[in-house]
Amino acid sequence: MSHVTGTSVHVETGHGHGPPPRARHWALRAGWVRAAWMTGFFFLLGLGIVVFFRWLGGYDPTLDWEPVIVVAGLTMAPLGFLAGLGGFDYWVSYALGSPTRPEDHSGHGAYTWRDYFRVNTDHKVIGIQYVSSTVFFFLAGGLMAMLVRAELARPETEFFDTQTYNELFSVHASLMIFLFIIPAFAGLANYVLPLMIGAPDMAFPRLNALSFWLLPIAGIMLLASFFFPGVGAGWTNYPPLSTEQPFGNVFFSMAVQWAGASSIMTALNFLVTIITMRAPGMTFWRMPLLVWANFTTSLLVVIATPFIAGSQFFVMFDKVMHTNFFDPGENGYALGYQHIFWFYSHPAVYIMMLPGFGIASEVISTFSRKPIFGYRLMALSLMAILVLGFSVWAHHMFVSGMATYLRVPMMVTTLLIAIPTGIKVFSWLATLWEGRLHFSAPMLWALGFVSMFVIGGLSGVMLGAVPIDIHVSDTYFIVAHIHYVLLGGSLFTIFAGIYYWFPKMTGRMYNERLAKIHFWLTLVSFNATFFPMHLIGVQGMPRRVATYEPQFGDWNLFISLSSFVLGASFMIFVYNVIVSWKSGPPAPANPWRGMTIEWLVSSPPPVFNFDEVPQVVGNPYEYGVKGARHAILNGDRAAAELEPVRST
Amino acid sequence: MATHAEAAEHHHGPPVANQSSRVDSRVLGMFLFIASEVMLFGAFFTAYFFVRVVAGSPWPEPPFHLPVFVAGVNTAILVTSSFTIHWALQSIKRDNRAGLQAGLVLTLALGIVFLLTQVREYSRVGFNPGDGAFGTIFYGLTGLHGAHVFVGLTLLTFASIRAFRGHFSAAHHHGVEIPGIYWHFVDVMWIVVYVTIYIL
Amino acid sequence: MRRGAIVALVSIALVVAAVTTAIAYFVDWLPEQASEERQGIDLVFWVTVAICIFFFAIVASVSIYAAVKFRVRPDDESDGAPIHGHTGIEIVWTLVPTICVVVIAVLSAIVLAQNDKPKGDPLRVDVLAQQFAWQFTYPEEGEVRATNLYLPVDRSTRLVISARDVLHSFWVPEFGQKQDAVPGIVTTLIVTPTKTGDYRLICTELCGQGHALMRTRAIVLSQPEFARWLREQQQGPAEPPPGGEVDAQGTFVQTCGGCHELEQAGTSGQIGPSLNELALDPADVEEQIRKGGGGMPAFENDLSEAQIEALVQYLVGDDA
Ligand code: HEA
Ligand code: HEA
Ligand code: HEC
Ligand code: CUA
Ligand SMILES: [Cu+2]
Repeated sequence: MSHVTGTSVHVETGHGHGPPPRARHWALRAGWVRAAWMTGFFFLLGLGIVVFFRWLGGYDPTLDWEPVIVVAGLTMAPLGFLAGLGGFDYWVSYALGSPTRPEDHSGHGAYTWRDYFRVNTDHKVIGIQYVSSTVFFFLAGGLMAMLVRAELARPETEFFDTQTYNELFSVHASLMIFLFIIPAFAGLANYVLPLMIGAPDMAFPRLNALSFWLLPIAGIMLLASFFFPGVGAGWTNYPPLSTEQPFGNVFFSMAVQWAGASSIMTALNFLVTIITMRAPGMTFWRMPLLVWANFTTSLLVVIATPFIAGSQFFVMFDKVMHTNFFDPGENGYALGYQHIFWFYSHPAVYIMMLPGFGIASEVISTFSRKPIFGYRLMALSLMAILVLGFSVWAHHMFVSGMATYLRVPMMVTTLLIAIPTGIKVFSWLATLWEGRLHFSAPMLWALGFVSMFVIGGLSGVMLGAVPIDIHVSDTYFIVAHIHYVLLGGSLFTIFAGIYYWFPKMTGRMYNERLAKIHFWLTLVSFNATFFPMHLIGVQGMPRRVATYEPQFGDWNLFISLSSFVLGASFMIFVYNVIVSWKSGPPAPANPWRGMTIEWLVSSPPPVFNFDEVPQVVGNPYEYGVKGARHAILNGDRAAAELEPVRST
Repeated sequence: MATHAEAAEHHHGPPVANQSSRVDSRVLGMFLFIASEVMLFGAFFTAYFFVRVVAGSPWPEPPFHLPVFVAGVNTAILVTSSFTIHWALQSIKRDNRAGLQAGLVLTLALGIVFLLTQVREYSRVGFNPGDGAFGTIFYGLTGLHGAHVFVGLTLLTFASIRAFRGHFSAAHHHGVEIPGIYWHFVDVMWIVVYVTIYIL
Repeated sequence: MRRGAIVALVSIALVVAAVTTAIAYFVDWLPEQASEERQGIDLVFWVTVAICIFFFAIVASVSIYAAVKFRVRPDDESDGAPIHGHTGIEIVWTLVPTICVVVIAVLSAIVLAQNDKPKGDPLRVDVLAQQFAWQFTYPEEGEVRATNLYLPVDRSTRLVISARDVLHSFWVPEFGQKQDAVPGIVTTLIVTPTKTGDYRLICTELCGQGHALMRTRAIVLSQPEFARWLREQQQGPAEPPPGGEVDAQGTFVQTCGGCHELEQAGTSGQIGPSLNELALDPADVEEQIRKGGGGMPAFENDLSEAQIEALVQYLVGDDA
């Protein structure tokens, strides 16, 4: 970690370009060929390590496949892949004291589609890499949801046996959470955050590239855990069931480690970037709320994510090394897992929501043509959510058998979170007041988010009240809550963000009509799918079941049919994005008349974002204030000289 | 600022980012990384806490014994290495390369001795990770820490290689300072681990 | 703010509140109420729903009003009023939710404390959860055992819950009470049935392949009927007189029928394979009963030697 060098320093110390890259044999050059053989090579290396240590310790058999898969397959081989792709090249030469090429950003920009398939240090390219791969994982996770709904259309088991069903929803949820929502926010922020604070790139561009490339690894591992079978213990992976699962469960554990490492590295990068690289004049109280949101989220990630890493290590050790963290027969404590897991995973739900709050603030302010109402309180309530978020984990454990005296304090903190969240909701509404509302697609998604999230948040408050939770815990009421906050909340803001910054990212406008159809179809079918779940949950349908009592058959059929419409609505999005990216009308620099800095540069922005670091002169949302500006770009002279770069 | 003007003219690089904080970005990054490492240890300590609460009985549980003394000596070794790395850093700040090299090598040696002692302790301690939750958490915490010592040693090895190949100077010593910060963290963490596992 | 706006806002809010209240009122949300604990739970439920409706109506009315009133044509380039905030209103929308939250919290805490306390002298029932079956023991009534939960009406029951293998969770929707069964620790739950009847008893914690099917019944009897049931069980075939006949079919129905289909015994469980056309020799069947495996629990300790023998005989004896 310590070898990463900040952008600013490079330019000061790096004179010119350093030696030109040595022309290497094609099999040694960083890229996919080297990645292929290094993956194999590192696998063998891992195998050797395991065999050596087992031989040393006198274990029998010397060649045991379980540790080999964990060490060689799930740890060393991915490292080999990253090394082969070129993720570590700079650090290796640095570590060995060889001449290094200081980051001259010659790898910036993407000129052909191939440039997206290499280790690229440009935050804009990385942002696009992130968003596209997470959309892919969203479709994969969505496909699994479709299979889940197909199975649930009738009360009996129709298509899958019960174990396969358990694996379906486990992988569905894990993909959505670890490979869609969390990294999609990271991707959007990767693209716009440096632009918004007037920085030429992230603080650690190479680390940034590396964090992205951990994701496909995690994703493939997670999908493999489905085919390997073994993830049938829900995304929560509670022991002792998880330690009892087939071996594929360690694929899940390791996938979470890789995804978690990626999040931590990105969060660290965001924090350092925000703290050290803001444009002159940009005080904390002049930062756009998206930046604030990512600042708090990153703090959450850095502090909380190690806990899920720990919890998954424990499960994996119990499984592979036969330790006894959670085995009650050996004095282990099964509930310990839940405490550790939720100490991460409750903050994780805010990791999945706060960046969305940021996006909503940007969009609502811009499309209402009004300053955000109560800017400071908006930022402070993010902080309040951050702090409170660490004190509520046990609300997932009200019926778990934990110490009963924990319930009332945890209930109180849980309910308190409604207050800062309420402040945010009301401030968005107040921002609309007396505004000039433009209902373009991003605004539709943002307002859809506010209303759907309020429903999800209110059901969350019901869950926070212990007596209600005791009745509805582990029923479809929870499933409804999950989807109202995650789909109606996080996913809606992700779409708001994608539509909002699509012109900036691709240099093209999307098709507004299709985007609106997408929105309305999603909104209606989403409610038709998930609202009835509240009802069947309260009435007694438990979650995570492939078969259920016939009395719920009609509702489930209705839900399944609506969910297929919901699935189809995303096909409109995919079509719209692909076609518009290829041949949409060129986008102007500032299609929404936004004030934040990313709109001051061309669409897509020049390779190095700015020729001159912008000067921040005011607050970010001064709509309607005569002559007010947020930032100025060197008299706009530089903008004319910058060469536009095509991203496709 | 000459470099910058040149860069802007030829579009060879981005403009120099504004430095909006006095903190060095790499040092800040290392501190944040350490914060998340502390939390990882936190997860293991939480597990330890549960094991201990469930066990309830005296610690270590009756059939088990811990070599408190040997581990104490080991603690002393690791603490000493914190001083040697500090010395290495102070030396290079005064442009004393020999001091830097000696300090790094000493630190490396002490770290390796620590690890070897720990391996020896493992082989003699008389139980393994599968022996009840006690064995599990003992190996879990000390093993996690051992892995961190290993990472720290790797970073220090890199710093040493560079030191011997003539890098670093009074003006440029981040490559020593940052692994050094990590090494201090590993030390402090060991003291916490030692006190909780062996003494409390 | 103009008077007209306030009137419009309030009317939209009232309409929204009326519609949502109608949905809350006319749809049968909660299942039949059959325990005293459920009364408290229902109270908290409806109070919280009312508070939620209140906030939802506010949010809906402001957004609808704003969407209609402040919408402009796409080519409108004007900006809104530069309002940056208003301390008074911010205090209001911090305080009102705080009060509501306090109401919910206090009410919940009271109900929780009540629901944790048994009324009078509770009946003790030991609940053992295992993949994928429930077993209920009445330790104070001569170790009577059953696979359905029988309870007397109007008397508190203290369920003492444990798990043999993985996490499970005890839930009877009509009672409202829920509690996980955790291997290694013992958890308790108080239930005071108020209505006789036959209710679903569901496992709500994912416990593996058979989780969806880990169901049985909770049967609430009037107090005399319950006493009679207990007496029958105490005299019944639970511990057969030495040398006497074991009721193989009865044992099968009680112990195995929840998981296995067997025409002969009239059972239709779906968790394990159907035993109608069993193609195993007696030794294997005995082994399976004793040691379990593949999702089936071991019965070595729960059934007597005579019972195991009788079961083997019953299942494969005739054919062998
Ligand atoms: C984006 C993700 C996200 C978000 C933001 C939230 C937000 C909240 N969640 Fe949710 N939650 C999940 C994702 C999320 N949750 C998931 C995935 C699970 C299931 C995990 C699993 O088991 O698989 C879960 C489960 C879950 C449980 C456990 C249920 C159980 O398993 O038994 C509880 C219990 O307290 C809970 C509560 C809350 C609360 C109180 C909030 C609050 O933050 C909500 C605050 C918002 C509002 C309240 C709305 C706006 C406010 C107002 C309009 C002001 C006034 C309102 C009042 C005063 C009432 N959630
Ligand atoms: C961000 C999170 C997120 C999102 C977006 C979704 C999206 C959806 N979810 Fe998911 N869900 C969770 C998070 C999420 N879910 C979580 C955390 C759980 C709990 C799991 C647990 O209990 O452990 C859960 C559980 C869960 C269940 C309960 C399972 C059970 O308990 O038994 C159900 C059931 O209906 C469901 C349905 C759906 C549906 C219909 C969608 C729809 O929105 C999906 C939309 C459909 C698509 C996007 C598909 C489009 C693509 C195609 C049609 C095919 C083309 C594809 C390719 C070519 C690759 N989800
Ligand atoms: C909790 C559920 C459950 C209960 C209770 C249960 N079984 Fe099973 N049983 C199963 C499952 C699951 C299998 C399948 C095992 C496998 O695939 O290896 C099985 C398999 C069997 C088999 C082997 C069938 C074959 O064709 O291979 C026999 C015989 C059997 N059970 C008899 C019994 C008897 C007798 C009892 C009562 C004493 C009983 N079972 C109780 C779940 C159960
Ligand atoms: Cu037992 Cu689910
Ligand atoms: Cu939570």
